[in-house]
Amino acid sequence: MQSESAKMTTAHEAGFRVQYPNSKQRAAKVIALDPASAAIVEEISKKSWNGAAFFTSLAFTAEGNPGAVGGDLKAWLKDLAGRTMDLVAEVEHSDFVVVITTTGADARAVSVIADACALFNKSLVGLIVPGQDDSDAATTESMKYLRPYTRMLVIASGTDYIEAMLTALRA
Amino acid sequence: MLKKEQNDYLCQTGPGTPMGNFFRCYWQPALLSEELPEPDCPPVRVKLLGERLLAFRDSEGKLGLIDEFCAHRGVSLWFGRNEDCGLRCPYHGWKYDVTGQCTEVPSEPTESGYAKKIKLKSYPLIEQGGVLWTYMGPPEKQPPLPQYEFSTVPLNQTFMTKRIQECNWLQAMEGGIDSSHVSFLHRGDLHNDPLFKGAGGNKYNMQDLSPVFEVVESDGGLLIGARRNAEDDQYYWRITPWVMPNYTGVPPRGDHPMHGHFWVPIDDENCWAWSYDYHPTRALTDGEVAAMKDGKGVHVKYVPGTYRPLANKDNDYLMDRAGQKAGRTFSGVEGIGIQDASLQESMGPICDRTKENLVGTDNGIIMARHRLLRAARAFNDKGVQPPGVNPEHHTVRQAALLLKRDVQYKDGAKEALKAKKGVRQTSV
Repeated sequence: MQSESAKMTTAHEAGFRVQYPNSKQRAAKVIALDPASAAIVEEISKKSWNGAAFFTSLAFTAEGNPGAVGGDLKAWLKDLAGRTMDLVAEVEHSDFVVVITTTGADARAVSVIADACALFNKSLVGLIVPGQDDSDAATTESMKYLRPYTRMLVIASGTDYIEAMLTALRA
Repeated sequence: MLKKEQNDYLCQTGPGTPMGNFFRCYWQPALLSEELPEPDCPPVRVKLLGERLLAFRDSEGKLGLIDEFCAHRGVSLWFGRNEDCGLRCPYHGWKYDVTGQCTEVPSEPTESGYAKKIKLKSYPLIEQGGVLWTYMGPPEKQPPLPQYEFSTVPLNQTFMTKRIQECNWLQAMEGGIDSSHVSFLHRGDLHNDPLFKGAGGNKYNMQDLSPVFEVVESDGGLLIGARRNAEDDQYYWRITPWVMPNYTGVPPRGDHPMHGHFWVPIDDENCWAWSYDYHPTRALTDGEVAAMKDGKGVHVKYVPGTYRPLANKDNDYLMDRAGQKAGRTFSGVEGIGIQDASLQESMGPICDRTKENLVGTDNGIIMARHRLLRAARAFNDKGVQPPGVNPEHHTVRQAALLLKRDVQYKDGAKEALKAKKGVRQTSV
C-alpha cells in the first residue's frame, strides 16, 4: 500500500493545497541611514508595495535636533513627503525594520533605531549597498556601524537587491 | 516569496528553457566512478537536466555519455552489448562509439557509408576525484575542468556519495544555504554523529542558540556567515560558500573531514543530492570511511543495490514519533540527509514559492535566488558568462573560525576561504 508521504507529495496532491491566504499584510519600515541611501529609497518607494513605509533618518544628523540622538529614544524620522515622524511610534507599529546604508557613509543613526527595535522586540535587518566609495575599507566601516544591531546583515553588490529583498519579504 | 513566473524560471531546467541553458554552462557531476568500474562494464541509464542519456565505458576505458535511444527504432541502448569499443543495440545490431557515432549498421553494406550519417547526441564525460563529470552545453563554449578541492585531492582523501531526492533541485539546494534550520532540524546530531562530535567549536553552538547572519556576495556566488558569541571580544564564525548554480559547502568541525553538496537536476521533479567528504591534507581514516558508508554525517543508508535512501517517502522516512517526543531527533527522522530530504520532498515536487512568508534571516536564500535570476537573464539575454563557470571560483573553502568582533569576515577569513594545496582547513 502506498505510504501517506508517497501519496501526498505528488504534483496531483499539490493541487489540493488550501488556497486561502496564509498571512496578513505586514508593516515593514524601511529607513535610509544616509543621503545617498535616502535617494535610493525614495526611488524604490515609488513602486507598488504591500504596506511598506519608507523613511530617512536624516533628521538625526542633518537637521540637528528635534528630539535627537541623546539616548532617550525621542528621535524622529522623515517620511518621503518630508513629514516628521516619531521613530518610536513607527517602530512600535512595525512588524520588522530594514535599515539601508551606502558604503562609506555615516550610519550611526542605526544605533537609535536599534534601541527602538529593542524596546519593542522588532527584528532589524541591515543592508549595505555600494556608495561612492565602495572599497573594502569603506564596506568595513559601514559594517561596523550595523553589525552590533542587526539580526541579519547583507552586503549587496547592487541597489537592485533592495527591491528584490523587500518583494521577497512581502514588504 | 517569488512570483510564479520567477519560480518557473528558476525551477525548469529542461532543454531550451532559460535555466536549462544556464545549467548547461557548467560541468556537473553525472555518475560516480564506481558506476562504470571497468572497460566493457554494463552501461548505466542517466537522466540529467531532463534528458535521457546512457553512460558507458568502452573496451579501451574511454567514457561516453550518449542519447539513450537507438537511432534506428528508438529502443533503449541500456539493453545493448558493450563490446569491441562500442555499444551494440541488441535489436538489429546497430553499434555506437563513445561519441555517439554509429559505426555499424549490419543491414547496410559497409561501403554505403550509411553508418557515418547516423550520430546520437553525446556529451563529454570525464573522470575526476571519483566522479564522472559532464558538460551539456555547446562544445565551443566548454569551460575548463572543475577545480573543486574535493575532486582534486588524492582519492584516499575524498569520499563521495549520491542519493536521489524526489523534488525540484532548487528547494534541495536552498536547504544547503539555509543556515538557520540547523539549530532545529539537526540538533542532536552535533553530539552524536562520529563525523561531527568532539570539535572545539561545538561549544559555541551550544552556548549561543541564536546565531546572527551576514550574507556577502562572492565572485562565484555567496558567502553566508553565521556568527555566535565567543570569548575575548570575538565571534565564532561558520561560513558557508555557495558557488553558482548548485554547489554548497558545510563549514567544518575540528579536524573532521569537510563536507558539502552538489544539487543536480534530474528533471524538474527530481534531483541528485551529491554529498562529499574530504580532508585537504590527510587520508581519510578507516573509521571515517566506515561511518560515511554507514550513512553517517551527510551520507545516507541505501535501499540495497540503488542510490535511493533506505528511509524514503514510501516508508514515511521511517518516522519515529517516540524518538521525536523523547528528543532523540527533532523531527522524528534519523540522519541529516534524510531530515532535509523528508521536509524538502514534503513541499511537493516543485515548491510553490508564491505562498512563502520569508523573514530577515532568509536573506541567504533571497540573495541566491536574486543572483541566479540576474545571472541567468544576463546569460540568456546578453551571453554574459555566469559566475561559477571560471574554475577559480571553485577554489573557495568553507571555514569555521574565531575573529575579532569588528572584522569583516570576508577580509578576516580571506585566507581560510581559499583552497590551497597541502594547507589544512581553517576550523575550530
